[in-house]
Amino acid sequence: MLSLKHIKTKMKVLLLGGFLLLFFAQPVWAAGPPAESPFNNPLAVVLVILMALLLIIIGILANILVGAADIKLKKKKNKTVVQVTMLIFLLLISGSPLFAQDTGNNGNSAAKTIGGMQSSTFYIMATVIFLELLVIIGLLLNIRVLLKQEKEKLSPEMVEEIKIAKSSRLTWWDKFNKLRPVTQESELDLGHDYDGIRELNNRLPPWWLYGFYFTILFAAVYLWRYHVSHTAPLSGEEYTRSVESAQLKVQEYLKKKGENINENTVVLLTDKADLDAGKELFTNGACAGCHGKDGSGMVMGQPGVGPNLTDDYWINGGSIKSVFTTIKYGGRPNKGMQAWENTYSAKQIAQLASYVKSLIGTNPAVHKTADGELYKEETTVKPVADSAKSKTDSIKTKTDKQP
Amino acid sequence: MQVEKFYYDNKIVKAFGYATIVFGVVGMLVGLWVAIQIYYPAISLNWAPTTFGRLRPLHTNAIIFAFVGNASFAGIYYSLQRLCKTRMWSDRLSWVHFWGWQLIIVAAAITLPLGLSNGAEYAELIWPIDIAIALVWVIFGINMFATIIVRRERHLYVAIWFYIATWVTVALLHIVRSIELPYSATGSYSWFAGVQDALVQWWYGHNAVAFFLTTPVLGLMYYFLPKAANRPVYSYRLSIIHFWALIFIYIWAGPHHLLYTSLPDWAQSLGTVFSIMLIAPSWGGMLNGLFTLRGAWDKVREDPVLKFMVVAITCYGMSTFEGPLLSLKSINAISHFTDWTIGHVHIGGLGWNGFLAFAILYYMIPKMWGTNLYSKKMATNHFWLGTIGIILYAVPMYWAGFEQSLMWKAFTPEGQLKFQFLETVTNIKPFYILRSIGGALYLVGAFIMVYNLYKTIRQGKFISNEAAEAPPLVKETSPKKEYWHRILERKPVTMLVVSLVLVAIGGIIEIIPTFLVKSNVPTIASVKPYTPLELQGRDIYVREGCYTCHSQMVRPFRDEVARYAPNPGDGGYSKAGEFVYDHPFQWGSKRTGPDLAREGGRQTDKWHYMHMYDPRLVSPGSLMPRYIWLLDNKLDTSTTPAKIRAMRTLGVPYPSGYDKIANRDLMTQAQIIADNLKKEKIETAPNAEIVAVIAYLQRLGRDIKEEVKNQPITENK
Repeated sequence: MLSLKHIKTKMKVLLLGGFLLLFFAQPVWAAGPPAESPFNNPLAVVLVILMALLLIIIGILANILVGAADIKLKKKKNKTVVQVTMLIFLLLISGSPLFAQDTGNNGNSAAKTIGGMQSSTFYIMATVIFLELLVIIGLLLNIRVLLKQEKEKLSPEMVEEIKIAKSSRLTWWDKFNKLRPVTQESELDLGHDYDGIRELNNRLPPWWLYGFYFTILFAAVYLWRYHVSHTAPLSGEEYTRSVESAQLKVQEYLKKKGENINENTVVLLTDKADLDAGKELFTNGACAGCHGKDGSGMVMGQPGVGPNLTDDYWINGGSIKSVFTTIKYGGRPNKGMQAWENTYSAKQIAQLASYVKSLIGTNPAVHKTADGELYKEETTVKPVADSAKSKTDSIKTKTDKQP
Repeated sequence: MQVEKFYYDNKIVKAFGYATIVFGVVGMLVGLWVAIQIYYPAISLNWAPTTFGRLRPLHTNAIIFAFVGNASFAGIYYSLQRLCKTRMWSDRLSWVHFWGWQLIIVAAAITLPLGLSNGAEYAELIWPIDIAIALVWVIFGINMFATIIVRRERHLYVAIWFYIATWVTVALLHIVRSIELPYSATGSYSWFAGVQDALVQWWYGHNAVAFFLTTPVLGLMYYFLPKAANRPVYSYRLSIIHFWALIFIYIWAGPHHLLYTSLPDWAQSLGTVFSIMLIAPSWGGMLNGLFTLRGAWDKVREDPVLKFMVVAITCYGMSTFEGPLLSLKSINAISHFTDWTIGHVHIGGLGWNGFLAFAILYYMIPKMWGTNLYSKKMATNHFWLGTIGIILYAVPMYWAGFEQSLMWKAFTPEGQLKFQFLETVTNIKPFYILRSIGGALYLVGAFIMVYNLYKTIRQGKFISNEAAEAPPLVKETSPKKEYWHRILERKPVTMLVVSLVLVAIGGIIEIIPTFLVKSNVPTIASVKPYTPLELQGRDIYVREGCYTCHSQMVRPFRDEVARYAPNPGDGGYSKAGEFVYDHPFQWGSKRTGPDLAREGGRQTDKWHYMHMYDPRLVSPGSLMPRYIWLLDNKLDTSTTPAKIRAMRTLGVPYPSGYDKIANRDLMTQAQIIADNLKKEKIETAPNAEIVAVIAYLQRLGRDIKEEVKNQPITENK
């Protein structure tokens, strides 16, 4: 026969096991240099949440088991379980910043990742989850055995009594919330009477109370991580990091793709596909708002903000390189033409510039008067303005300078 | 013991109840109107008083202060008398409160469309109205406390705790937020500037939700739910814990409206953690409500009052869980400035506040007219229409917010922003249309209620003075030993003081250091006060409610810097020191239009001119209304000296005596802009309002660009 004591010890061992595992696992995680927050890795987050959920289930089951086992033991036992559970929570949280950190310094650690996590970290977390599942199965088995025993002990009279009591039987929901049967309400009545409103003195739902404690704990850990231990990035740092990692990705991508058009390498595109793409961008994108849909500089019958693009007069130079530069970095300061390099890719800007060049000589019926200097393709290409030249090394220089 | 006879005053409850219905319908109508304007700008009628920027404040103020406010007062006047077993202390004060409050609402309904605004969300009302609010609030407080003092019930019921906390906290919030310096009979500048103004604003704004839309309504729930269900309150113990925890923690959570802004990080973190800690206290109220219905769920199936209450309480639980989640930085990075927030507040507004207000109206009106509800079926239909309305409102807003945010943040693999701002707006137009359908359904439900209540009133007979009796309170010769909280419940004044102390703590700890600790707002040398013309333009910006759609805060995100400050000389994301002369701050809370923090120099004067004339001329598909009157209105320069003097008093370093020559500078700058426009073939008078607006818009972000030019660029640490 399974004694209560037996269950008690067994549970303690199991919980202690989990606790020890976490305790010993910590130094392993802590060994590496600090890395960025583990909460960036979705797999890690899911695993941590899973671990926490299972722990909650363990806590509830343990509570039910103990509650069902013996009322005498209840007071003492309840406390221990809760304490142990809380302790594990605590450790989980304090351990979490370290999850994503490097386990080994042997150099080839980058290769051993699972879903972006260190494989060892993954396995440790998986083991914890596995052990938690074992604990849950153990608890469930114990509850079953216990309930069976209790049933066997019952005399016929007691069975009758149970039948009567069934009307006020507690469901898992009631237990979860520590609800008392409505039939026992009179015991809880405080005797208050406000305009006919009575008040009961039900206990606080345990999950609510421990949830409250948990949020307080969360608050402490949060403030600690951001403002004391600095293991979580403040806004400014987070920004710098995200820009850096994005830059790396972009550079890698461009290298792979071999597309590196800039104002020094750009050539006039004459392909119909390219010109159509340019036209699409021009008429349906932002250009038409200032230069008109036909490039005449007339917007809805009014002279627009931008100049006529169909004549031979250019404010910022009319060569393909100049037009490319103007679109990419913008025109004269405060004159309206803004920089489009963050909106359009280099390829798109080349298409746009080529399309704009193709507009020359289309002679729309209504157009804005000429502005700027005469530029003819035959004349020698004007050198690109100095200010633009200094900006040439596209993305890298630009973002480096950003504060 | 001799039983005393007395009469409850139902007339005042009736008055507040009628006001609730009238202003509720009006507020919702205005809401529907602005919801349609968002996707169909022409419905603004191209008339200044009916544009989005002026009507949106009218909608929020009408719903918060007129609809929910009047509903709370109706419920408080009804329940307080019955819980204290006495008539209101003074009928005269009750009526002064009623008429005072309605006059304030009418004044708001006139001034807001006229563009008279303080430019702070939910605190838009101008200073004379602010004073009137404070006075009426004090009158309400005196009447309430005197009633509590002369009560015939020894202990205060939990509903009254909530009423007391509401009164004292709203008084505190309103007074601090309204510290402003008038420069004319209708205009004033906030005493605070920039980051500090933002902190005060959201300390106020967040707690307007907490103490005007939550605590009084929780109090109503504690009275009307047990009454309607005829069930005892689930847990007295829970009431105590969640009440005190709620009022203490709520006040701290304001900075979660300012995550990733220039507010110091420590204050942001406090906002986050206190929001998380707020989950349990908020849910305590929900649990106490829902568990009170144990053993009465069969009644919920029949009784529309309980139906409304169940959904109201559930919505309360949902939005108080969602709120803390939105306070987590990772989620806030997605949700903030989008329609997600709009969806969130409407779960609270339509679900919690609206449905609870409907519930108490359906409960009180048949009772006070000594009859039954005219049609339960109609009320049930109202319930279902309202519920479907809420879902149709909220789901599209969540979707729109999420989708737009992802579009804002999307980059091509080449490192360019994938979408232009306008694309992200036009893309969510279908959701805006769906949302207005949801709102319309909700409004139709409200109309059904009006009819139902009208019929109920017609079939009953109003009991203006309801007879009641109770023994008087006599001083106990030997008070028996009681639970500590029971002792507190005998002492309303102690309760008031303890509540005040508890709510003051959070505010003091968060607000004071940003004033005293210099490092919290590092100064930027090149940030200079606005020129007189820019200042006038800024006041027009505030008048038109531009902040209801445009933010002025580039957050430290890759996409925002790429979109709003793309060039190395643009100064990157927004810094605290940029806003030191902004009385009031204009960071905004919603980006229906793009951010304007770095607008200066991005477009030409001509572009702005054409854009104000018709936004769709220069950005096809834009949803912005036209601002034609800015082109014709003449700028009132007579206010310039007073404005400069006020700014000087607030610490803006204009030279002494500058107020006398300010208008000369103003005209010089205006002439430059007018000449500039003339070159582009646009004839405009230099004293047209548009010139001032252009001057202001061209100034935005200029100072920080200067700063970058002046200083060698150093690696940001």
